Amino acid sequence: MITPIELFAQQAVNGLSLGAMYALLALGFTLVYGILELINFAHFNVFMIGSFVGLIVLQALGIAGQSVVLHGAPLIFALLLALIVTMLVCGILGVLIERFTLRPMRGVRGPMAMITTIGVSYILYNVVLLATNAQALNFPDPLATQDFDIHHVVIRAKQILIWIISLILMVGLDQFVRRSRLGKAMRATAQDAEAARMMGVDVDRVVSTAFFAGSALAGAAGLIFGLYYNFTQYSIGYSAGLRAFTAAVLGGIGNVPGAMLGGILIGLIETMSSQYIATKWADVIIFSILILVLVFKPAGLLGALAPNRS
Amino acid sequence: MRPIPTLTARRRGFLLIGLGVILLALPLLDPNQADIDIAANCTAYSALALGLNIVVGFAGLLDLGYAAFFAIGAYAYGILASYQLQPPWTPDWQFLADIGFVSKLTIEGNAVVHFTFPFWLMLPGSALIAACFGIAFGAPTLRLKGDYLAIVTLGFGEIVPIVARNWTSLTNGAEGLNGVAPPHAFGYSFGINSIPYYYVGLAIVGLLLLVSVRLRDSATGRAWMAIREDEVAAGAMGIHTTRLKLLAFAIGAGFAGMTGTFYIAKLQTATPDMFDLPVSVMVLVMIVLGGMGSVWGAILGAVFLSLLQSLFLPALNNAVQGFGALIGSGFLQQLQITSASELIFGIILVGMMLYRRQGLIPAARKPPLLTTEQMHASVTRGAIDLPVHPARHARGAKPDLMIEGLTVRYGGLHALKSISMRVEPGQIVAIIGPNGSGKSTLFNAITGLVKPFDGSIRFAGEELIGLRADQILKRGIARSFQNIRLFPQLSVIDNVMIGQHARLKSGPLGAVLGLPSGRAEERAARVRAMALLGMFGNRLTPRADQLVSSLSYANRRRVEIARALASAPRLLMLDEPTAGMNPAESIELAEQIGELRALGLTILLVEHKLDVVVRLADHVIVLDHGDKLAEGKADEIRRNEAVLTAYLGRAAAHV
Amino acid sequence: MSISRRSASKFLAGFAAISLTPIRSAFAAGETYSIGITLPLTGADAEAARLILNGATLAISEANDSGELKGITLKPMILNNASATAGQYDPAQAATNARKLVADGKVLANVGPEMSGSGKAMAPILSMGNLATITPSSTAPVITDPSAAGEFDPGGKPIYFRTVTTDAYQGPNMANFYAETLKVPSVYLLDDSGAYGVGLADAFGKQAAIKGIKVIGRDRLDPKAADYSATLTKIASTGAASLYYGGTMQAGVKLVKQAYQIIPKLIKGGGDGILSPEMVTAAGFPAAEGWYCTNASPHVIDDPKLAEWVALYTKTYGVQPDDYAVTAYDAALVAIAGIKAVQKTGKKLTAANVRDAIQTVKIIGLQGPISFDSHGDLSSRIVSVFQFHEDKSAPTDFLKQYRYIGVAPQT
Repeated sequence: MITPIELFAQQAVNGLSLGAMYALLALGFTLVYGILELINFAHFNVFMIGSFVGLIVLQALGIAGQSVVLHGAPLIFALLLALIVTMLVCGILGVLIERFTLRPMRGVRGPMAMITTIGVSYILYNVVLLATNAQALNFPDPLATQDFDIHHVVIRAKQILIWIISLILMVGLDQFVRRSRLGKAMRATAQDAEAARMMGVDVDRVVSTAFFAGSALAGAAGLIFGLYYNFTQYSIGYSAGLRAFTAAVLGGIGNVPGAMLGGILIGLIETMSSQYIATKWADVIIFSILILVLVFKPAGLLGALAPNRS
Repeated sequence: MRPIPTLTARRRGFLLIGLGVILLALPLLDPNQADIDIAANCTAYSALALGLNIVVGFAGLLDLGYAAFFAIGAYAYGILASYQLQPPWTPDWQFLADIGFVSKLTIEGNAVVHFTFPFWLMLPGSALIAACFGIAFGAPTLRLKGDYLAIVTLGFGEIVPIVARNWTSLTNGAEGLNGVAPPHAFGYSFGINSIPYYYVGLAIVGLLLLVSVRLRDSATGRAWMAIREDEVAAGAMGIHTTRLKLLAFAIGAGFAGMTGTFYIAKLQTATPDMFDLPVSVMVLVMIVLGGMGSVWGAILGAVFLSLLQSLFLPALNNAVQGFGALIGSGFLQQLQITSASELIFGIILVGMMLYRRQGLIPAARKPPLLTTEQMHASVTRGAIDLPVHPARHARGAKPDLMIEGLTVRYGGLHALKSISMRVEPGQIVAIIGPNGSGKSTLFNAITGLVKPFDGSIRFAGEELIGLRADQILKRGIARSFQNIRLFPQLSVIDNVMIGQHARLKSGPLGAVLGLPSGRAEERAARVRAMALLGMFGNRLTPRADQLVSSLSYANRRRVEIARALASAPRLLMLDEPTAGMNPAESIELAEQIGELRALGLTILLVEHKLDVVVRLADHVIVLDHGDKLAEGKADEIRRNEAVLTAYLGRAAAHV
Repeated sequence: MSISRRSASKFLAGFAAISLTPIRSAFAAGETYSIGITLPLTGADAEAARLILNGATLAISEANDSGELKGITLKPMILNNASATAGQYDPAQAATNARKLVADGKVLANVGPEMSGSGKAMAPILSMGNLATITPSSTAPVITDPSAAGEFDPGGKPIYFRTVTTDAYQGPNMANFYAETLKVPSVYLLDDSGAYGVGLADAFGKQAAIKGIKVIGRDRLDPKAADYSATLTKIASTGAASLYYGGTMQAGVKLVKQAYQIIPKLIKGGGDGILSPEMVTAAGFPAAEGWYCTNASPHVIDDPKLAEWVALYTKTYGVQPDDYAVTAYDAALVAIAGIKAVQKTGKKLTAANVRDAIQTVKIIGLQGPISFDSHGDLSSRIVSVFQFHEDKSAPTDFLKQYRYIGVAPQT
């Protein structure tokens, strides 16, 4: 019989994995927000598209269902190929969305650009809904099941994998934004687009890059989601997206480490509410926390990266 | 010129009456119950769209959880007019039973209370309940920037159906409320006949339409639009932005609540699934299609999209499939256009945003074109023929501005370092300094837009630090902005009238009721605004109804000054008023500023053009890197070595 | 391609008839009658609704081809019970559709709705219009409950017929099966927040307690969420011997997959909501292996007639039928049988007469004998139990991926 402490630890493991997923999704979202101060509702359905792209790539490689398990080099090759293709396709999708629907909206006041992203989001959602007949699809599972049992607390190899990938992507993005030339240009644009433009920063290119990077991350998250949960459906973007939103706001919207922290916190809150209160109230608890954070600490736990310009 | 608007007004009147007659006669023209039911649903969506239009269209607040208020209104009536709650009967209920709100019911030998709240009472009642939820929920979040509001409302929109799903004892959970009582009137139960519902729906839309139009055309409506266009400038013009945003939110919620009650009474059942996110998004699509901020557009959008999904698309679907059957095309026979209706809605949303952002019926009517004479008329100078400040300012201490030890920091950067200065009443004080010397920061600190780190700012003896921008304006300080912050999608006259916001007394309730006092005040405000525009001769008066965004740069500066003057300030703060003007225009404006001083106004000026400064200023203060470098009379400053090297030298080097 | 005058006029007439529904009778000259089919054909419920639609239209077209309808032609009048505004089934749209059916005058009966939420909005209108509807899948007991007749049956005569038993039997019979056959000592209940799932789990739980099964806990899944590991970990920690899930496959896919990892040893079961092809195509084996599920009708899978029918259905529509396609086919058969009965008596073909005939109809449908009690519920209250079991020899044949266990013990 599992002890209360072991149960708590097990739920923490569950929460960390869930949180890593939210964090991955929040990263790209927060990156775009940091630069454009635009809430990109389409982001979460780019994530959903990413899971389908990953599915198609893996199936094209002949990996379908739960029967094909790979090891060693073929596994790494298959996963890397799927990751690269998914990130490329989603990145390009993000750039196209920006170029054709959001660039014309730049400089338009008020909620117009946000409404446009809602429209784009709806289009992506419904195209997939119609294409798949609203069916959930089985996602290939080429990873061998490998559990580590530490005092009744089971950690699965997949969970460790998702932690590592999230960490790598977060640190990578953080370093990219901090150190690379383009990253610096991004931060300059985030601070003051007009000044950045005057200093010779190609703002269009910066924004495109941000959309590419953010959407590619969403794509990666989509693939990982599929590999982890072994299914995908047109609707996965919505509920995961809503929590990723909350994660980004909780950590400090526009703040890369904040998104990571927020994601993990939301994951933990969700699992702990399920364990100690009731699963049915988990959403209410998450969104109540969101509202409380906004009321008492609008900049989020780690503070917003971009100053709250007026 | 006069007869043309009257004619169009008359034509509009005929159009409206014609439309009204057709709508009223619809059940006679088409007695099909299903069609009338569709029409009744159109009225419900129109009412929802009108409410969201106030929130999104007027006040510019993106509310993605609007369906939550719809749900609250629906459940409020549903719970109070069904068998859902059955507390045990006690004599305390008798007084409610006497007025027909409850009745005594005996179920299996136990006396219980059966709620029978009347529909007609619950229509306004639900509006009130939903509005209260709107206030409770909006109050903490509306202080935040608009983007956050979108996320928070999204969360709220999630929470309400979840609560409805899980609070089974109150809402009967996922199974939904059963047996909600239909409305009764004159002893007749509406039952399932769709015609009376249709008329009630029409009446609700009519009422909400009237409320919308009256609010739009009132000071409240102007204030909302000012917030939508530029929240900071709106605050600086004396608008209590949080309170007005909350008002918009509450009124929108109230509309939704009332509609919820109507909708549920018509359906006689309510399930939590009826109030999920798609409802909020679809109402948004309706107002985007019709035109955000456009009252008639909201109705058009709602009716069109309702009919699209319940009539047009199915008809098209049948026609295409029938055509497919005729020509033997299996593809066409199987084609399901209705399945794509949500996709079509998404495309409408993006398409409208990209190609017709103002919607099918734009909120801003096209301003009359200027006549050739007006366009080529030679410029005349106007004069100010009104008291610039009202009598109430006469009381109290001397309106002087005292700044002591003012320090403003942005992160680690000191924008202002312990600045002290004084502006005497009736003076013109100019502040000069190179870019980044802290001039605009000083202005922002005085008008409450940035929070100083240390120091004090006293006006007429009263501390300003800690006051909101709108409170500071009410103390008698009005400003213009260096980069011009007018409300671009509003007309010139509306911009100036917004400047008077703090001085207008009639509130939203008076506007809705159409009180004569409010109308008189509105007329007076317009007259006063025109008079202020007249200060610039014929430069602005013929353009009073044009959108500000269509004006020349110099004219925008003039509008901004007129707008600041409209608040009847004692201290007028102008941030580079002559920027972008040619020398002749600059001199003209300088003279007008001089005239304002002659009327008793105190003026604080940031200016780059030294000839203007020398011509006007009684006193000059030089800032550099947040420090006060020098102060004195203009001529003294001109000769000051430090100033020459720090400012003019550098400026010369730039040139 | 040239259009002859004849075909052009036919084309125009057809076009007018199709696009102007209310005027159609003018062209059809009393020979064509309609059977309504009201289903949520768009949005989240579209896929399931389409399987039902196919089942009903198949029965109608077979009836037309059979020549047994004595000179009349039946046309399906397909109405969408979903709206884009709701993003799924929309009771307001269902109410409009009910009015459309009643006002049409040529509609003799209706097949639908799929969802009880829509059924509640439609029932009073159909009742006042005296138009029978036969639902293939709406299982909420309240709609036909005589104590709620004031709300759902103001016309007085039952109009809400079902070719499925209600949740009042499916859940409890399965609880009997858990207690008597599986002999589980304890159960943990889950539902998917939907009216169907909640009602089913409630009914199961009530009977389980009566049968002496310890109900260890009850939780509600968010069907839109992806991760149920926390809930399942909690269940594992309670030491419950079994799990009963009331709900559909939207949450079911994820539940089945994750339960396989976290609570592999528990006995797991659900209702007809998980007897769905998605159990194989989306949840997949080995996760689905061993799950019990029920069907609110007798088991007829071995009947060669059904195999033939499945083949026909699959050939015609390109998709495999599910259970509700079967009950929808049966529902349409009931409507057609009612019409034939009216024709036999020589009475006028009206919705009211067809309703009276349906009340006493006795037919053999795909699922076996069908007749109704005085409230409109299916007389047969047989609940069949199945268990998922992979058949690797025919991985694409859904019907081979589960096996019949037996009839669940009745209370």
